[in-house]
Amino acid sequence: MTTKPDDPLQSPQESDAESVVANPRRRPKRSPLSSVSTLPYRRSNASLSSIFASTTSLSAQQNAASSGESGPATPTATVVDGSVFSPGASTVAGNAGGGRPPSPVIPTGHAGADLGIRDLILRAFAPHVSVLASQDTDELLRHKGIHGGLLELLRPFGERSQGKVTIRDSSGVSRSWDDYGIRFTGVKDGLESPRLVDRRSTDSTASQRNGKIASLLEYKPARLRTGGDVPQVEDVVERHLTFAEEQSGPVEADYISHKDVQPSSADSTSPFYHLYLRRLLSGLPLVPSETFSHPVASVIAISSRSPNPIEELRNLFAASNQGEHRLPQWVHNEFLRYYVLVHDEDYDDITKSMQLFDQMKRHFGLHCHLLRLRSTQCVPSDDGATRLPHPEWLAAGEELSEIVRRESSEDDEDPTPYIFTSDADAIKAFVREMVTQSIIPSMERASATWNDQVASRRRGLSGRFMSLSKRFTTFGSIGGNRNSSMPSMGSGGSNYDSLQGFYRPDAPEAIMRKLADYSMMLRDFKLAQSTYEILCGDFKADKAWRHYAAANEMAAVSTLLATSGLSTKVRVEAVDQYLETAYYSYVTRVGAPYNALRTLVLGIELLKVRGGSALDDAARWLIKALDDRVVGPVGHVLMMERIAACFSERKGVAGLSSGERRRKAGFWDMSAADAWLMMDKTLQAEKCLAEATRLYQRGDADVRFEGMSGFLNTLQEAVKSNRHGLQHLDGDDLLDQEDDERTLVEPLQSEPDRLGPRSPGLGHRKSLSTAAPPSLQTGLAGQTTAFDDPLGAVPSAYQGEVAGSTYPEGTVPSTPLSPHGVDVPGSTPRVSTSGGSKRDDGFE
Amino acid sequence: MSYHFAIVGTRDNPLFDLDFGTSKLGGDGLSHFKPEAAHMNQFILHASLDMVEEVQWANKDLYLKKIDSYQNNSIHCFLTATNVKFLLLMNPDPSATPYSQHTPGTTTSPPPRAAANAKHSATLLAANPSSPQTEEAVRVFMGEVYESYVKCTLNPFYRANQIITSPIFRSRVQAAAKKYL
Repeated sequence: MTTKPDDPLQSPQESDAESVVANPRRRPKRSPLSSVSTLPYRRSNASLSSIFASTTSLSAQQNAASSGESGPATPTATVVDGSVFSPGASTVAGNAGGGRPPSPVIPTGHAGADLGIRDLILRAFAPHVSVLASQDTDELLRHKGIHGGLLELLRPFGERSQGKVTIRDSSGVSRSWDDYGIRFTGVKDGLESPRLVDRRSTDSTASQRNGKIASLLEYKPARLRTGGDVPQVEDVVERHLTFAEEQSGPVEADYISHKDVQPSSADSTSPFYHLYLRRLLSGLPLVPSETFSHPVASVIAISSRSPNPIEELRNLFAASNQGEHRLPQWVHNEFLRYYVLVHDEDYDDITKSMQLFDQMKRHFGLHCHLLRLRSTQCVPSDDGATRLPHPEWLAAGEELSEIVRRESSEDDEDPTPYIFTSDADAIKAFVREMVTQSIIPSMERASATWNDQVASRRRGLSGRFMSLSKRFTTFGSIGGNRNSSMPSMGSGGSNYDSLQGFYRPDAPEAIMRKLADYSMMLRDFKLAQSTYEILCGDFKADKAWRHYAAANEMAAVSTLLATSGLSTKVRVEAVDQYLETAYYSYVTRVGAPYNALRTLVLGIELLKVRGGSALDDAARWLIKALDDRVVGPVGHVLMMERIAACFSERKGVAGLSSGERRRKAGFWDMSAADAWLMMDKTLQAEKCLAEATRLYQRGDADVRFEGMSGFLNTLQEAVKSNRHGLQHLDGDDLLDQEDDERTLVEPLQSEPDRLGPRSPGLGHRKSLSTAAPPSLQTGLAGQTTAFDDPLGAVPSAYQGEVAGSTYPEGTVPSTPLSPHGVDVPGSTPRVSTSGGSKRDDGFE
Repeated sequence: MSYHFAIVGTRDNPLFDLDFGTSKLGGDGLSHFKPEAAHMNQFILHASLDMVEEVQWANKDLYLKKIDSYQNNSIHCFLTATNVKFLLLMNPDPSATPYSQHTPGTTTSPPPRAAANAKHSATLLAANPSSPQTEEAVRVFMGEVYESYVKCTLNPFYRANQIITSPIFRSRVQAAAKKYL
């Protein structure tokens, strides 16, 4: 049946999901019926399952395993997951099979999960190190089978440097961190908007990849590595959700085992929320108003193949200073340059390379490293072959394009290249040496200097006078002085270039911002907080709104991170004020929805970690985010879940139920379940619903409101009938059902909560799981119009109910699978999975 | 502009509920809730009981004023001496309540309901749920309902936490609603 392009049985949800991926922007124009479901195809694509497993969700992974999916789990899969959810877990590969958790639950308890989120936020603000490699280095790596150049090779290893990293803060106290990492980026990553089409990518290091994807010509790698695009984040999470949903499979035992573990999942964070958070915080765009993504160092790499190595290094250095690799003028250009000589173990002479390396050290000082790599391509059967780990901090666009690429490739193999263990060890040692001996010390030195020379002058009484006098002399200064950039402080006028919207990097405000950001990266939150505080005032006086908003955002974050035991008063006054100002400025003055969302999410999560009455604040901000619609449909539901989590964490006072938020938590869980069902995500809906039911029934008895219990039952039924995930639907059954559905549509819409015993359609569907895969009669073609009606009319009827909602581009319209119309649309998606042979047709 | 009024017993059990609209400003006195509000209103009221339990210890009056809100619904509460709660949910524009549905829209453009509502929002009680006028109107309404409720429970056959079926009580609540809200 699926061979007909306009088959009305085509599930709208699945086909949309497919087309979203193929081309997010053109989706609405494509007929939802034009592409036949690719689910079965995807399911058989092992490489795809591994990307989902390796990037995120434990549940996808678990389901992949439990439904008999034989996709090879990447050895790194559990490693990556483990590192996210349990920060203490080692990142060393090798615990592939055994490390798989038994359930989609996060292995650590919920407190652990929350601390995990705090760590996630800490790690989001990692120093960025740009990678600038010579042509011959990239050539060498291409021989190894790594097409993204040195950047692709280094990137996964930078995210967590091996062993402890000790950092001295401004007061001279050392602290060691287990999970310290850096981000390797391309030289101009983060500059272009991830959605801009016409600008040419200037990054040469990874230009290989886009050649492979004809359909993705609009994606250029350097731009892909830029995050900060909320719809793309939504897309990625949606893809993961859909995958998890598909993998849940029709196996009954699957559900049973789920049910067993559900109580323990009560307070844990959904892996999808983790993913959402991580994608939101990865690939921070390079902007003047914050310097997190400005490089703190740059790796300049040449290879032993170079005929004229020292000259090559000089050229690269010059290019990063003036030439094509020079960053915009608002980026502080005096960052550390780290010189790397990549030695080819297989073909080149090590003694020659050693000589060259000594020469490099003489010329460029101590910040040099000799990286010994093998240049032959590694195949899985080689001794000590290991997969290149999957980077955790991919930007959303990047992951999206990777998913699309694997989905559309016929190749069943996981395209992740293999490398030798010796290479991996060499890179790990290199990263560790660079971080501990060059990057951290130079950052410490820089922030000490700036703190001494600029920031400390602004603290204390005299500093306040200075800022006052600065403010007042603005009036006295000659007009037009505002736009001139005065590097010295307190000389009247402001350093803000209001025309171009930035401070010159040598202006005291820019240096202080950099100091504050450095101290965030070095995790010296007290210094960061006090610096941001000063900056807030300065930026406000200069009316540099974007800077002002960014400083407020980080002031809130650093305040929340700095002190563990804030009194309620301080928190309400300071943090709320910061968040409010940042949010307001981002939304109304600057119009930066991504930043506004990031502000809220950071604030919410850090408030939530504190517990107690801060949970109410977190929930309040979440509700504000929902009401202001800063999130897309996926984030909307995830935030509902989050609100429920906040409320259910609230504990009563002195053992009384007063102060508890059990009912509210139940309510939000129920809302989330409803919303998941509307998006056709039964698995998630089931989890939320189980949680809601648990909360509602924990008291003495059931819910006594008739409408409530009725609706909960309706949801339960809807979940139950969809639980089997993708089922085979017989065409005959569907024909029979049609009559039922038609008559049911209207009553269902008008009387949503009084459904009582479910319609006959439900009975049908239950029997469907056992039905043999159908061969649809040709007569069905004539019935097209008859089919069109129930399938087409119902969604519109539902959407009419929600006042003509339209979906933002790039998001998948949910199948209106609300309990209000459970039977009708709920039966449709199953059709698409029937019959194996038609899948490939549809995919073409 | 629609109202949902409910009396909730001591065990979170509903004793009475009534939907009505405003009769002021040419209102027809009928509620215009969406169909799903039939259960959603109950969920919202039930969820607000958490707030009642918290606020009741911090407020010396029986009328606790506005205690909670959900989207554009706001909930006022009146607590009787026997821990039976009168909850009044007011919604200035029921058609603009999305409930769990995600409605697209960016923060840069103001929500449509604000625009649609702007013309007569100033005069509507529910549009300013914490304004003194609204509070006063609800207080008087609650007082009148309380009086009827007390008379109703004086019935020797009425047991605690029993559902109120009396048509007279219902008509009195309706009259009070018509008069004050």
